[in-house]
Amino acid sequence: METILANLAVGFSHVFQPLNFAVLVIGVVLGLLVAVLPGLTLVMGVVLALPFTYNMSVIPAIILLTAMYISGTYAGAWTSILFRVPGEPIDVPLLWDGYPMARKGQAAQALGWTLIAAFFGGMVAAITMVLLSQPIAKIALTFSTPEYFAVILFGLASVVSLGGSSLAAALVSLFAGLLIASVGVDDTYGAHRFTFGVPILTDGIDYLIVMVGAYGLGEVFMRLEQGFKSPQLEAVGKIRTRLPTLREMLALKTTFARGSLTGILIGTVPGAGATVASFLSYGIEGQYGKRKRLMGTGIPEGIVAPQCAATASVGGAIIPLVTMGIPGSGATAIILGAFLLHGLQPGPQVFQTSSHIIYAMFASVFVGIVVMCAIGYFATKPMVKVLDLPEVIISAYVVMCCLLGAFAARNNLTDLWLMVIFGIIGYLLERFRFPITPMVLGVILGPLAETNFMTTMISYGNDWTIFFTRPVSGILMVVALLTLVYPLIRHSLHKRASVA
Amino acid sequence: MTMSRSRVLKALPYAVVLLVAAFLYFTASNIEFQQRAGTLGPDFWPKAIVALLLVTCAFEVGRALFAKDTIGEVSGVLEEIVEESAEQHAVVAAEVAVEHHPVLLALGIAATLAYVALVTRLGFFLSTALYLAGFLAIGGYRRWGVIAAVSGLGALLLMFIFMKVVYVSLPIGEAPFSAVTLLLMQLMGIR
Repeated sequence: METILANLAVGFSHVFQPLNFAVLVIGVVLGLLVAVLPGLTLVMGVVLALPFTYNMSVIPAIILLTAMYISGTYAGAWTSILFRVPGEPIDVPLLWDGYPMARKGQAAQALGWTLIAAFFGGMVAAITMVLLSQPIAKIALTFSTPEYFAVILFGLASVVSLGGSSLAAALVSLFAGLLIASVGVDDTYGAHRFTFGVPILTDGIDYLIVMVGAYGLGEVFMRLEQGFKSPQLEAVGKIRTRLPTLREMLALKTTFARGSLTGILIGTVPGAGATVASFLSYGIEGQYGKRKRLMGTGIPEGIVAPQCAATASVGGAIIPLVTMGIPGSGATAIILGAFLLHGLQPGPQVFQTSSHIIYAMFASVFVGIVVMCAIGYFATKPMVKVLDLPEVIISAYVVMCCLLGAFAARNNLTDLWLMVIFGIIGYLLERFRFPITPMVLGVILGPLAETNFMTTMISYGNDWTIFFTRPVSGILMVVALLTLVYPLIRHSLHKRASVA
Repeated sequence: MTMSRSRVLKALPYAVVLLVAAFLYFTASNIEFQQRAGTLGPDFWPKAIVALLLVTCAFEVGRALFAKDTIGEVSGVLEEIVEESAEQHAVVAAEVAVEHHPVLLALGIAATLAYVALVTRLGFFLSTALYLAGFLAIGGYRRWGVIAAVSGLGALLLMFIFMKVVYVSLPIGEAPFSAVTLLLMQLMGIR
């Protein structure tokens, strides 16, 4: 415990260095803006910020992206509550009670509840993240290649099983990602795989190109095809935030606790990020809350539950990233990318070799939440003003940032062609309702999965049963398989029930 | 029995992926390498993935075309919960009708491809300014003064940030267009 606190103190000392703190404030502001603007998603925002970190050292780079990630889960609440316009799917449950509250003339109270919920959920998750990460990393240090392969398989299985709108579509997306990751010259044999004689493909396809293209450019193409039709905003008078009293907050203590716990748990599961946490927490409150019958009529519980969970999911998602190198969400996948760009592979070893970087990241979560809430309290009105910017202008710059990001990664113009191709693929995936996240995680985790699988096969004489006979990997493999099968069982039970 | 159009449309994306996967399996089967005794070759992993992809797509095509029930496809567990919550509160959510403009999309993609093709010849500033202006026009923005300012100043700003602050070596272009980039670099103190 003392070591953890000492490391955290070092982390805070890094965050409070003037340059790093300035970067953190910029990250928070950018995250808030991204969350406010419809058409710009949290993941897309973090992707677009990535090229600006190429020449930064690792700590400010991670601080910038982490700060954006945290604040990106919060500011969309403003537009949901005030204008009935959710900045992105995370914020949809917030409008179910937030907007009716605003219609009743309680917009200031609704904004106050959002702020407190984001603060509470974020802080509880941050504390959990700090307390659990090092012990989990210690356990992970005992893992060998079969366990690592099983962990990755479990991660990929849960991405497919939990988050996708269709299991088959998520599987196709994941397999596509794993195949993209296998393009290039094989490390062991020097064999060309799927290069088709194209020189640029011999170096493989950089996952950054895939992420920037699919998440960034693909989304812009989608919005362009829809004609950049943003909903009309209703006029709102004075925008201010009124914080709830301590007594009011204590009355909702169970809602705060449930929301935070849901967010942390969902955050740790690969594939289920802030959006799922927000919806699920709202659903749980609707099932078990004291005033469940009033949900949807404009009560604070309907705001606290999803907002707590959305912000808490950030801390939860960081745990598997730093302890095992497995990103739990699109945003953490990009933060993983930033780590790798700076030559650092997150995982249990990183707590021994570069703990100051990990703890600087942890500290930036705490400070980021405080800065985010301060800006949320004092500057909601100017931040919301960005909605006056035409979406087409923002999108034009998003495309430019994507192109520059793809080019700057390797200073190679050919990467631009690949990025545009992945932009078109990203558009097609979204158009035909194939989720993008499994593909991106497949591209990132594919090489790790293959390396651990092949090493295990070499070490254990091609005996694949080793994955099931070692206790930890065995349990994880079974859990991974059950994770994949469970949606099928659930579906057939639903089908029987509806037939009956 | 005539196959309904909706079934065919549902099966189509998977059928396309199935064909691509079959081609990739053939390619993976022809990867050249020196086999070492007792070890799996570099073709094992991609072939295994493509095989799984083939099975998934074949199953989905079959299900879409021939399955008796149409209760719906198997979705992610949490996704179902999300959708159920969303349906319950659909009345409160903003109703925005989704329009489709395939011509705009085609123009946008063409403009982006043209940008990538021309950036080495025209240089970063000229190609970016032209692209931004073109994109805004394609996107339906018609305030020409704002378009000129946003594209010209925006290209300059991006050039300054990436060349002067982030130190990315952006394309200068070929003569005579390179003269414009070099002049701007000189004015901004970029070496």
